[in-house]
Amino acid sequence: MKKSSLWAFMLMLVMALFLAACNGDSTTTEKEGEKEKDTPASTTESKEGGIVTFGTDQAPEGVFEPAYAGSIVDSYIQEFIRDEIYQVNDDLEYVPELATWEISDDKLTYTFNLEKGVKWHNGEELTVDDWVFALETLADPAYDGERYNYVENVKGAKAKKEGKADSIEGIEVVDPYTVKITFEAVKINNLENLWSHPMPKKHYEGIAIKDLGESKQVRETPVGLGAFKVKKVVDGEYSELERFDDYWKGKPTLDGVIVKVIDPSLAAGAFQNGEIDIMSIRPQSVKELSALDNVRIEETKGVGYSYIGLRFGHRDKATLTNVADFDKFKSKELRQALLYAINRPAMIDAFLEGKAEVANTVIPSTFWIAAEESELNQYEFNQDKAKELLKSAGYVDKDGDGFVEDPKGKPFKISFGHYAGPAAFEGRSQAIIQAWNDIGVKTELATGTLIEFNLYNEMKNNDDAVLEAFFGSWSTGADPDPSGLWANNAEWNFGRWVDAENQKLLDEGLSEAAFDTDYRKNVYVEWQKHINEELPAIPLWENLDLYGINNRLQGVHINAVGFQTDVYKWSVVE
Amino acid sequence: MLQYTLRRLLGMIPLLLLISLVVFFLAKMMPGDPFAGEIDPSNTNPQYIEEMREKLGYNDPIIVQYGRWISDFIQGDFGKSTVYKKPVSEVIAQRIPNTIFLAVTSLFFTYIFAFIMGMYAGRKPYTLGDNLIASYNYLALAIPSFVAGIVAIYFFSFKLGWFPFNGSVAVGLDEGTWAYYQSRFHHVLLPALVLGLMGTASYTQFLRNDIIDNSRKDFVRTARAKGTKESTIYNKHILRNSIIPIVTFLGFDIATLISGAVITETIFTYPGIGALFLSSVGSRDYAVMMSITMLLSFLTLFGNLVADLLYGVVDPRIRLD
Repeated sequence: MKKSSLWAFMLMLVMALFLAACNGDSTTTEKEGEKEKDTPASTTESKEGGIVTFGTDQAPEGVFEPAYAGSIVDSYIQEFIRDEIYQVNDDLEYVPELATWEISDDKLTYTFNLEKGVKWHNGEELTVDDWVFALETLADPAYDGERYNYVENVKGAKAKKEGKADSIEGIEVVDPYTVKITFEAVKINNLENLWSHPMPKKHYEGIAIKDLGESKQVRETPVGLGAFKVKKVVDGEYSELERFDDYWKGKPTLDGVIVKVIDPSLAAGAFQNGEIDIMSIRPQSVKELSALDNVRIEETKGVGYSYIGLRFGHRDKATLTNVADFDKFKSKELRQALLYAINRPAMIDAFLEGKAEVANTVIPSTFWIAAEESELNQYEFNQDKAKELLKSAGYVDKDGDGFVEDPKGKPFKISFGHYAGPAAFEGRSQAIIQAWNDIGVKTELATGTLIEFNLYNEMKNNDDAVLEAFFGSWSTGADPDPSGLWANNAEWNFGRWVDAENQKLLDEGLSEAAFDTDYRKNVYVEWQKHINEELPAIPLWENLDLYGINNRLQGVHINAVGFQTDVYKWSVVE
Repeated sequence: MLQYTLRRLLGMIPLLLLISLVVFFLAKMMPGDPFAGEIDPSNTNPQYIEEMREKLGYNDPIIVQYGRWISDFIQGDFGKSTVYKKPVSEVIAQRIPNTIFLAVTSLFFTYIFAFIMGMYAGRKPYTLGDNLIASYNYLALAIPSFVAGIVAIYFFSFKLGWFPFNGSVAVGLDEGTWAYYQSRFHHVLLPALVLGLMGTASYTQFLRNDIIDNSRKDFVRTARAKGTKESTIYNKHILRNSIIPIVTFLGFDIATLISGAVITETIFTYPGIGALFLSSVGSRDYAVMMSITMLLSFLTLFGNLVADLLYGVVDPRIRLD
């Protein structure tokens, strides 16, 4: 085993070399501009038929039922073969897809009206029974997937989960196309937290719920409602999807889609050869790919951001609460100084090929609740300002070693942790450490080296003492509510920042008053301003999502949640 | 010999137990578990993770976990993959044919090339040709096969387009057709050539040295004195003797067959045991990882036994009892 990890390390070195070697081209930005002009979109008519290959760098796990799946590649395949009750639009709002809904006056009951004439791949028609079956399955005590939290808020789901009821009390089927769902409590994001994937009830008939996840019907012969259906799966290699002619939105243009696993080091070559048509790519591959004539790169603002977490305390695992008992970063001026010290635009250019945008809060700007930049302090790189702030907070260099001491005169040092990965990680962790040392805040790399990713996560979970400051990234999903990451007692509030104002605003954002969209937005803007001022973590940048797309592939619409909106409109030109 | 074999087989049991202990504890000592790592904040439920850890017994004392694992293992229950959510034996069985196909093909190339080069170098030692062969072999030994793999893909797949660069078969072919088998063979060729040609060093040099050794022996001098043709001496008398040690290599190759291509398989996205092993380590899929390690340990021990037995078969001077 030791040998193989050494090999993996060497492989990484080699790949790093490759990436480095590919970075020699400096004229790419111009080229990119030229190429965008002569994409054949407007000139050539697209035709029917054709097969498109989507590349992934990980193998799918082959679970085709979202209630059991956990891997990102599986979810890509599901997007091709499934549709949902609601979908998320470009502005990250939840809009009807398979059903429309009305909310009762007391905001507890939602009445869903299902689209008629929607066909499953096996020819059955979709009815609300299929959806109710899915909800009941998730709340079943024997269900062993991890999605119970998507029915948790429905009235009576808890009773069923605990074995006290046979069915969920809050679900009432009116007719085959209408269902009323009553929730336990009024919450603004009840809908966002409701399971939206119907299950093919007929197809799963006769399987005990405890065996469902491993059944042949889920793993080998899936039935969906999407534009494409699964034709053949070769384990660990590719999945072949073919057109579903009776798709309810219209017959798809393509004959089929192939989802193919490919080693990331070979992506550029495979694009050049036309072996893959679309793939999500990393900033490091941009230069290499934009040198190819047959490939365009599309980018969009995503829902991910990077930040530096600062430790304020630890998590008490017995009571599941966060306890603020670590005072190193208690001074607001210190935290602000640490942000002023970092030249974020320069880091983005150096380590992300410019494919990111400076963030001053922890809500990605693509969300409809995002605050205007003009309302936020921009924290532009300013070392003098940083030093001033340090001085005003009492952090001055008393013993003349070039580094500040804390207000009590004791030596002050930050231990900063970063996880291991591609070559750019080494550079950006050093850049942050250098930036802080430059303003006189002594900073060292925790453990002296980049930390293996699994170990790093474990250290964060356990509030390891050496991670006083730590690099982190989140991809948030489409629900704008940031409570899961930043609420006072949230498990993934890794800095363990506890603040009354923070919790108050987050609660207001989910309150009954928040059904008024403007009110809700205002609350979240206030919250962002609070974060922007207090800086419980140091926001760095929000990443752009990048896709390499072969010019023959047309009709791809990318947005913050992905590239698979209306895949039935995809087409190819030759 | 039967008695010897049985004795050796029995001797393996404590050894395998010891290995299992090391494997298990090393695996558990790795930071993280299948539920750590990338958390999707809107989808992952902390309670669920805790429940699953409890259910899978990750919270029990490690010695209890070991006892449970080893007793299941002995009874043939290798556990369930946390990634594929299927029994491990199924996951492995699905991958093994691919790996064996790749291994046999690459071994075939190794033998052919090593045989030719070894014969030539042994017959004409210390000439330019011999030196070139030696240089090539040491170079091949020094270059990791995955580097060779990337270079080979670049030239032969991307530049020349002779071989497909990933997968084990072309998309959309049905099993059992002629085109299917043809495509399988086409796909295995490049990784097999890379693995095969990079692994000739030990065979070639072994064969060469043995031929040189033998050519100085009395029976060769006698043959020469009798006026036997030089080619007959080399191809018949010497070769027969020199091939003996080579045959025993076969035993050692059994484990290498399956383990040798861990990284190469990953680069070529060739769905075999090696690629599976690497991904199981990354995702902390304990059951798969430990089962493969145990499988490889067993094959190594078994291969050693086969090698020893083969010694006895090919060389009557060696007696096993």
